[in-house]
Amino acid sequence: MGCSSSFPDRNAGRLASLNSESSTAPESKNLRVKLVLLGDSGVGKSCIVIRFVRGQFDPTSQVTVGASFLSQTLALQDSTTVKFEIWDTAGQERYASLAPLYYRGAAVAVVVYDITSPDTFKKAQYWVKELQKHATPGIIMALVGNKADLHENRAVSSEDALEYADNNGMFFIETSAKTADNINNLFEEIAKRLP
Amino acid sequence: MDPDDVVADPNPHQSDSTPGAAPSQLAQMRSLTLEVSNDAAGAEQPAGNRSLPADFYETADEIEVTEKGSRLAGGLAGSASRGEPEDWRERSELDGEVLPSPSSSGYAGERGSIGGSNGIEGEADDGGPSLPDDWGRGKRHLDEDDASISWRNRKKHFFILSHSGKPIYSRYGDEHKLAGFSATLQAIISFVENGGDCIKFVRAGNHQVIFLVKGPIYLVCISCTEEPYEALKRQLELIYSQLLLILTKSVDRCFEKNPKFDMTPLLSGTDEVFSSLCHAFSWNPATFLHAYTCLPLAYSTRQAASAILQDVADSGVLFALLMCKHKVVSLSGAQKASLHPDDMLLLANFVISTESFRTSESFSPMCLPRYNPMVFLYVYIHFLDVDTYLMLLSTSSDSFYHLKDCRIHIETVLVKSNVLSEVQRSLLHSGLHVEDLPVDFSLRSGSLPHHLAMEKAIPDISSSHVGVGGPSGLWHFIYKSVNLDQYVSSEFSSPLSGSTRRKRLIRAYQKLYFSMHDKRTGPHKTQFRRDEDYVLLCWITQDFELYAAFDPLAEKAIAIKTCNRVCQWVRDVENEIFLFGAAPFSCPYPFLRGAVLSDLLRMKGFVLHYHILISDHCTK
Repeated sequence: MGCSSSFPDRNAGRLASLNSESSTAPESKNLRVKLVLLGDSGVGKSCIVIRFVRGQFDPTSQVTVGASFLSQTLALQDSTTVKFEIWDTAGQERYASLAPLYYRGAAVAVVVYDITSPDTFKKAQYWVKELQKHATPGIIMALVGNKADLHENRAVSSEDALEYADNNGMFFIETSAKTADNINNLFEEIAKRLP
Repeated sequence: MDPDDVVADPNPHQSDSTPGAAPSQLAQMRSLTLEVSNDAAGAEQPAGNRSLPADFYETADEIEVTEKGSRLAGGLAGSASRGEPEDWRERSELDGEVLPSPSSSGYAGERGSIGGSNGIEGEADDGGPSLPDDWGRGKRHLDEDDASISWRNRKKHFFILSHSGKPIYSRYGDEHKLAGFSATLQAIISFVENGGDCIKFVRAGNHQVIFLVKGPIYLVCISCTEEPYEALKRQLELIYSQLLLILTKSVDRCFEKNPKFDMTPLLSGTDEVFSSLCHAFSWNPATFLHAYTCLPLAYSTRQAASAILQDVADSGVLFALLMCKHKVVSLSGAQKASLHPDDMLLLANFVISTESFRTSESFSPMCLPRYNPMVFLYVYIHFLDVDTYLMLLSTSSDSFYHLKDCRIHIETVLVKSNVLSEVQRSLLHSGLHVEDLPVDFSLRSGSLPHHLAMEKAIPDISSSHVGVGGPSGLWHFIYKSVNLDQYVSSEFSSPLSGSTRRKRLIRAYQKLYFSMHDKRTGPHKTQFRRDEDYVLLCWITQDFELYAAFDPLAEKAIAIKTCNRVCQWVRDVENEIFLFGAAPFSCPYPFLRGAVLSDLLRMKGFVLHYHILISDHCTK
């Protein structure tokens, strides 16, 4: 695992230690983890990240272009800290072919769909397949049904999603970036699964 | 070309106040008296123009732009005759251009009404430079289609469609509802193509329909704004380039594989980028000048920024650009790589109009059409503050962490050397104000502002000059350095307050630009033109282009002198308004160049003669 291993030739030295792994502290582990969010346009990937990183929710949030990079450190009970370096990718079709740019070398992939839209669930399955083929072997994958606050409009059942997740070795969670429901849980669950 | 010739726009409709026309075979000589030019009769199309030889009209044919609308509508500038009709005109144009509407992104804002606070313009009244940020995240009226009256009343439409007639983009209305309309446009284009020809434009009443064919992608503009054909074609070219910036030219391959390919999904979420560009056509002179503009900064401040950018450019970054809104703070490129002003315009437009870049650092593929239309570059974007952003471009898709590291380094240096605070200060207080045009150059070493950034400590100074502007009736100017590919535009003086007036001036400059650079009759050296709104003076040398707007009652001789002073002023402060070192910069302008314009526009009493050269259109 670890971050992007291919640094540009020159100046790589200046980068100190961007590679994940732990710092040298003997007792408490400090992990640095590259995480990528994938999913269809409009499912709320950016909202999940902004909620997790800044504790905010902007209902008018704009379309992501390319990919945004954010980081957030999570302190676990066992005095381990995990610094998530998060690639929030754009959901638009034109960026689909560029996704490897962002998920290559990622330790964690979070695949997001919108529980009110079966199409986005299909798109999520597409991403899972793509990751299984091309991502780092052993990548931790999470399936996230977002917009759980809109349960009255639910179009993807939790059971179906859970079954799909189980069959593909992923863990499954439903979240709401709007109400903050399960957002921290998601990242804590990921942290627990880190090697 | 005889240096004594004052060459004017060949289009008879465009030249105002030209009562006597004396046709000759290749050159039209007309006389213009200052007295008559102020006469209301000048507002009508002089009968003499109708008797111009046929070859003259051939030229006019292709770029026919009548000013009837503006002439009939506008009275003498500043006078009471400016009445209802003009208001109506402005309003309707406005309606056409700035009504925001929901986007297809799913985040449809309830913004469907006229946005402006003044009720006339949907644009913020402070106009110009600050507009791109605050003109409202205007999107298009998705509820409209070609059957809607509101849609038909819009002043300027832009369409992108595929060669099979599939809609790709429409400035107004939902593309998918415009499928029938797109198919009609496609039918017109392919009908002409089948005849082995290529359609350029159609005029229908007040409307011009302009076509641009780019392989499998067709672009169409339908406009009744009376802009010249070349100007609208240029706008279509920019829209096409913006599309390439997002997708590269390799999208053509999709059409090779499947002629009925639907391109709209590939552009999803980019409405804002295109509408912001369409909006820029009415406020940003960079859209026609082929030049960029810099934020005024003390020389040492810009040097500090340039030095650090050059550092990273030497470390494998292809281009490093530090910008504040649409103005350049500094830029540098690796080795011999050079950045085209059009690419900078489109890059800045893309970044400024894309909200997500403001939330966090981003890394995104983008194509610079003038650099290489076939490939993506990888762009690291980070907003250092609300207005100031850094763009680092690399050819390598793996370069994110390196670019991020460069940014941290750059940001540290910029903060330490106070560049960022200077940039903010300049944004608020600097700029060339025509009111500050130095009066006497024999005293100029003492009278010039030494640091533009410090000069405007009292930002509201212009409001004390209500209706006055600068000396000798100077209202505004744009000075473009040809060698540097940079221009500087003065701040808008009070006679030009309000975005409607500014927009009209930008359109007037645009028309001036294209008449000066007309390929069939030009390039020209000088032009003096008077209408109800302004006196416009344009002067082009191999080193610079000057466009100046004066009070419509300004005297020609004084206007010419003032232009010389403007040029001198710009040269005196060039270290602060231009970026040097980005392009090889030739020795500054000969000291006496200012005298040349007087020679060119030699005054003979109150009557000035000038020639219209029609150089090669007969061969056309």
